[in-house]
Amino acid sequence: MAEVSRLWLPVRIPIRDDTHAVVAAQQGRSLAAQLGFTLVEQTAFSTAILEIARNIVKYAGGGDITLQVVQDGDRAGIVVLACDEGPGIEDIELALKDGFSTGKSLGLGLPGAKRLMDVFEIASRPGHGTTVAMQKWKRPTSH
Amino acid sequence: MEFTNIQKLENLLLVAVPRDLMDDEVIQLRREVLQAIRKYGSQMVLLDFSKVDICDSFFGRFIYSTSKMVELMGAQVIISGLQDVVIETMVELGMTLPNVDAVLDLDDALALSRSLSRRQNGVAPDEEMLLESAVAAEEE
Repeated sequence: MAEVSRLWLPVRIPIRDDTHAVVAAQQGRSLAAQLGFTLVEQTAFSTAILEIARNIVKYAGGGDITLQVVQDGDRAGIVVLACDEGPGIEDIELALKDGFSTGKSLGLGLPGAKRLMDVFEIASRPGHGTTVAMQKWKRPTSH
Repeated sequence: MEFTNIQKLENLLLVAVPRDLMDDEVIQLRREVLQAIRKYGSQMVLLDFSKVDICDSFFGRFIYSTSKMVELMGAQVIISGLQDVVIETMVELGMTLPNVDAVLDLDDALALSRSLSRRQNGVAPDEEMLLESAVAAEEE
């Protein structure tokens, strides 16, 4: 069902405003669907992308998101790299806490996206920008 | 005044939440909801999410701010039409919507809105009678 054997080129989506954030989320969903993610997995995956992409618009004013299919044996997943050159995050541990926000939001963005993904990492240098790397595997289908 | 995403249905305002909600749309939609409440005297605003397939915390903020504004007009926000996979993701994301009631579909929303307006229509005559008897008692 999933076309894991083909060559998947990375998809890079520039993020300047929230219409781009929506495009990134829809692209993520479509890629996840092509890989055979379940509807719940597609929804979780694209929701996490939308969270992170809207964060880029809101806090950094712009950046980009790259989607890359990865394979490990017969396992397939998608890596999302979200990069910006915004103000960066002073205290990553604090930013990953539920309910913490420097903007007027619910403070769910980063911790929420983390819960929706299998792998979630942030690197940030205050004054230079932030990179979020996250990944979701397609759950193995029962044989 | 034309409302693009809003329809009046009895005492209910039916708001179709756009699939891709943007910052400027939120402001416009909230304004239209308030104008429509004033125009129709609606007591209940139903935010219908059936078009939404990706619901991040931005939607949560939209629901919250809309419900607060609607409350200040003496009306109430309820939500409906959330897809199963969207519900699963919202809860996983950590989104809770305190003080916002949800109903399964439009039928339930209508039933709720009718029971609310019956109660409000029903209370008024009773109070009138009480007042009358109080006035009568004072006159005696």
